Amino acid sequence: MTAPAPQEKGTTTEPPMKTPGSGAGPRIGVFICHCGSNIAGVVDCGKVREDSSGLPGVVVAMENKYTCSDLGQEEIIKAIKENKLERVVVASCSPRLHEPTFRKCIQQAGLNPYLLHMVNIREQCSWVHSQEKAKATEKAADLVRMGVSKAARLEPLEAREVPVEPVSLVVGGGVAGIQAALDLANMGFKVYLVEKEPSIGGKMAQLDKTFPTGDCAICILAPKMVELSRNPNITLLSYSEVEEVKGYIGSYAVKVRRKARFVHEDKCVGCGLCADVCSVKVDNEFDLGFGKRKAIYVPFPQAVPLKFTIDKEHCTHFKSGKCLLCVKACTNQAIDHQMQDEIVELKVGTIIVATGYDTYVPKKKGVYKYWEYENVITALELERLVNAAGPTGGHLIRPSDGQTPRRVAFIQCVGSRNKKIGNDYCSRVCCMYAMKNAQIIKEHEPETEIAVYYNDIRAFGKGFEELYHRIREDYLVEFIRGRPAKLSLNPKTKSIKIRAEETLLNKITEREFDLVVLSTGLVPAEGSKRIGKILSLTTSPDGFFMEAHPKLRPVDTAMDGIYLAGCAQSPKDIPDSVAQAKAAAASAAVPMSAKKVTIEPLTATVDEDLCVGCGLCTELCPYGAPELVQSEKGGSKARVIEALCHGCGTCAASCPQKAIITRQFTDEQIYSELQAALEGPHRQPSRKKVEVSG
Amino acid sequence: MKEKDKENREVEKTFISGLHEELKEDKVIDESELELDFPKEIRKYGGKDVMTCLQCGNCTGVCPISLKIDYKTRSIIKYCQFGLKKYTLATRWVCATCYRCYEHCPADINPAEVMIALRHIAVREGIIPPFVKTAAANLVKYGQSVKPDAEISKIRKELGLPQIESEDPEYAKVIREIGVLVRASKYDQLIGIQEEVKQ
Repeated sequence: MTAPAPQEKGTTTEPPMKTPGSGAGPRIGVFICHCGSNIAGVVDCGKVREDSSGLPGVVVAMENKYTCSDLGQEEIIKAIKENKLERVVVASCSPRLHEPTFRKCIQQAGLNPYLLHMVNIREQCSWVHSQEKAKATEKAADLVRMGVSKAARLEPLEAREVPVEPVSLVVGGGVAGIQAALDLANMGFKVYLVEKEPSIGGKMAQLDKTFPTGDCAICILAPKMVELSRNPNITLLSYSEVEEVKGYIGSYAVKVRRKARFVHEDKCVGCGLCADVCSVKVDNEFDLGFGKRKAIYVPFPQAVPLKFTIDKEHCTHFKSGKCLLCVKACTNQAIDHQMQDEIVELKVGTIIVATGYDTYVPKKKGVYKYWEYENVITALELERLVNAAGPTGGHLIRPSDGQTPRRVAFIQCVGSRNKKIGNDYCSRVCCMYAMKNAQIIKEHEPETEIAVYYNDIRAFGKGFEELYHRIREDYLVEFIRGRPAKLSLNPKTKSIKIRAEETLLNKITEREFDLVVLSTGLVPAEGSKRIGKILSLTTSPDGFFMEAHPKLRPVDTAMDGIYLAGCAQSPKDIPDSVAQAKAAAASAAVPMSAKKVTIEPLTATVDEDLCVGCGLCTELCPYGAPELVQSEKGGSKARVIEALCHGCGTCAASCPQKAIITRQFTDEQIYSELQAALEGPHRQPSRKKVEVSG
Repeated sequence: MKEKDKENREVEKTFISGLHEELKEDKVIDESELELDFPKEIRKYGGKDVMTCLQCGNCTGVCPISLKIDYKTRSIIKYCQFGLKKYTLATRWVCATCYRCYEHCPADINPAEVMIALRHIAVREGIIPPFVKTAAANLVKYGQSVKPDAEISKIRKELGLPQIESEDPEYAKVIREIGVLVRASKYDQLIGIQEEVKQ
């Protein structure tokens, strides 16, 4: 396709077209939408139509109750044909929703779809100025006049297609990543799953049971993990991290670092003879420090892949150069202390980000004394302590003396809904997992006295309210509405006294508990920042990755071909994570099934004659679209990779040579809008002409 | 002076304890008792985020006053949200503005500033605890809110503190200046101590 010619640079913009009918300027149609009463309830649409019908180039101006409806679109098509319209202005809502609708509509009438201009008189006018109707009408007329002026200068553009590699990369091997990978593989696509830990499974593998039904977490997850490892379409890259991603939808070039696990995956059979002889014992991260593991280990029995990994930091051989007991014990010669990190290069068409979450760690100097009192633990630690496969075999003990706690308190909203620490959001799972954990404790030790200190109970999901009811009815768990103010230690018994206002009684209460469990919230995973940077993803204020649209595109990102699944996007429970993973897989399958994707032509383009190759654009672009290449005419010149460009205009605005044009947002088009803004009937006649700088 | 004390006690009983007792009674709060614009008024006087309180009760738990007497920070904020202005203004002026509540509040609101705003409003409505009037009058008359007397002089001596030289011309000048400021700003009228501080 050809770039629009950089027209009339350095001149003032006089409208090039003449009055309608003279045949010089394009013939423009204006369609003003009432949007029911959304617009018409505030803006006098009749007046806007009258004003716009006299504008230069406008041959028809009409109103519709709902322009986006079938009827409204029919009217546009009819008007285009009857009046031989060459440009169309729709004054309605935000182009984010209906620009594609109207582009298709005018295309049906035989116009190039990019000869449409949308004027937003709803979000940017009627909704925000609902108290000032006259002024809103005036503004709407201004906006339409600006739009008409720009429409006269629109150029036809052609969308372009790029091929899509039918291969997907899934980053993160928790339940969301596993599900997304399985779904895509079962659709017939090749999938690479990258997991930074030695085993997939993520946080779900650490949990005991799941709410509200009480299914054992690993029992329902392990079959999926095994299925994944056996699926011929899936290549599992465990103990690996994404290092670099380049390219765009359809063809991403990915570099993955396979960290040296010092055990050859193809030779290791997971027999464990090596670990039997290893003399080094360290805290097992998987059990959050409650259990032990060797320096050569699998994190948990159901690990996938069931391959051992040497922890370089603790291995005696790496410290002293001796030992090698594991090497002698291994009957398959799988262990190799000389192993080096390896970089694997992949070419994929789509990427699913499922980097998950971390649990909030209470502050060192916080009121909840997590770092001071042994018997204050977090909920994830409790999960390991009540887990049958955990370090205590599922027998709940308190850390200070190994005794079974008789009185247990849960404190809700630790690290959530707290502006003081900057986590304003609700973590969505803590209410329910606290109830579930209370139930597990009661099942193990029915005599345990359990109190839950809460602010609000959010039992919003399927079967949640029923669990809330059940644990009060069947297990007599007590709920205290109040946020604990002070925890103090009984030095003799190591029990903890909680002071809190029972707000529903309007009384301050003090009670002693043997074990205090902090229901810690969910925070973005530590490694997600790095991945976000590599993939140019944006985050919402809470630090989780931002979806392309909160309602209509909840699994897409602003980057085409990159999708979100699970807690990488926001805190969620297992069913929601799985649902989103399935949605992400389906979304990623769309371009991969089509094998090609249409690229918006609203991109930046470089005039090589003007470009001096300073490279400013390559530094400023948030998407990495411009690159410097050797020109045939000599010297380096910027070139925009169209598939990466989002048409944001940063490069065009900053180019000192004005060598970059953003299509559909050329300087000329923007200045003509400004000019029109100042030409309204209600404006002062003594105004300066807007100069087009150049 | 004795009569004055008696009157003060009456005021205390009517405004403070009386309303408090009334609120404790088991009766339906009628819509007509609610002043829904009250949170706005509190904002005007500096209690900027009274409506964002989550009612978690953390403030009450850390409040040194709440522990000792029937004065629950959270519950006062609830009255404010609800628009129970009459009762709210009748709360005792016991908040020491130590800001512990602010330090612990997860919603990052400042209950102590709400308390200060309530006092501003109460004073403008003429609901002024007698001790405030006394302290204000003392300030104008003696340059300090506690009236100097032989007892205090004795304690100061024991503690090795210098005596207050109220005879000092400099000191008298300062007191005069305070008087001028109080009258110019009409503080005396606002707090109702014109009589006491008349020149």
